[in-house]
Amino acid sequence: MNDELALVERLRAGDEAAFAHLLDTLGPSMRRVARMYVSTDAVADEVVQEAWIGVLKGLDGFEGRASLRTWIFRILVNIARTRGVKEARSVPFATLAGDDLDQPTWDPSAFGGPGEEWAGHWSTLPFDWRGLPEDRVGGAETLRAIQEAIGRLPPMQAEVIRLRDVMGWTSEEVRNALDLTDTNQRVLLHRARASVRRALEDHLRSVSEA
Amino acid sequence: MSVTEGLTCRELVELMSAYLDGDLSPVEAGRVEVHLADCDGCEMVLDEFRDTIRLTGMLSEEAVTPAQRDTLLGAFRDWKAGRG
Repeated sequence: MNDELALVERLRAGDEAAFAHLLDTLGPSMRRVARMYVSTDAVADEVVQEAWIGVLKGLDGFEGRASLRTWIFRILVNIARTRGVKEARSVPFATLAGDDLDQPTWDPSAFGGPGEEWAGHWSTLPFDWRGLPEDRVGGAETLRAIQEAIGRLPPMQAEVIRLRDVMGWTSEEVRNALDLTDTNQRVLLHRARASVRRALEDHLRSVSEA
Repeated sequence: MSVTEGLTCRELVELMSAYLDGDLSPVEAGRVEVHLADCDGCEMVLDEFRDTIRLTGMLSEEAVTPAQRDTLLGAFRDWKAGRG
């Protein structure tokens, strides 16, 4: 937090390198978040620009009650939503988050069925990749498989896993930044991780058989 | 057997993220640990979730497009000039 206040002071003092760093760190995610609410990449770029201008104008009033990045994302999301309304583009939450949030993430057929002796316990285990050497597990192809799996997720799930697990934000920051309930933030993260785990399993099984 | 009295594997897989993030209550976390102590399958899947989080953390973010970057650095300079 002290580092953050120091950053805010540098921005207020007009330190361009500090601004460029923030822009490079947050820019790609801001563009994706804006794109959830508006119709085109070009409009998303406009929303991101408008958000940064709002950030600069509001900088003197920033009190550090939320983290800086959370505060920036709130400005962004508000502008993006307003813009989406103007475009008469209303995007249902289920479209952003996935329409199966109340369903289990795991295929029920992997477990013993009701009435069986081992009801609810494993009948089919996934591929165990733990014995594979790290240079095969953590290689560039694996990272590409993860990237692709994230790209296939509903956009809000994709953003939650990126902010949490790629960029290391806390659950509170992500929930506030994306205006999610605590429960939804957790559900989206778990679903996203479960999908990525499954993609990893498929990828690493094929690696082990090659 | 204790596994059949507590959580099922099917229930436990849905708690793995929250467990790894330390988001479960002490009682819930205790139920998870009792199950894990007896269940090699869930122990393995939990290891895979851990590995998933670790490997996802190795990704790098995309870059801002150069045009957007130039526009915004320009906006920053204008803002700075306006502050005098």
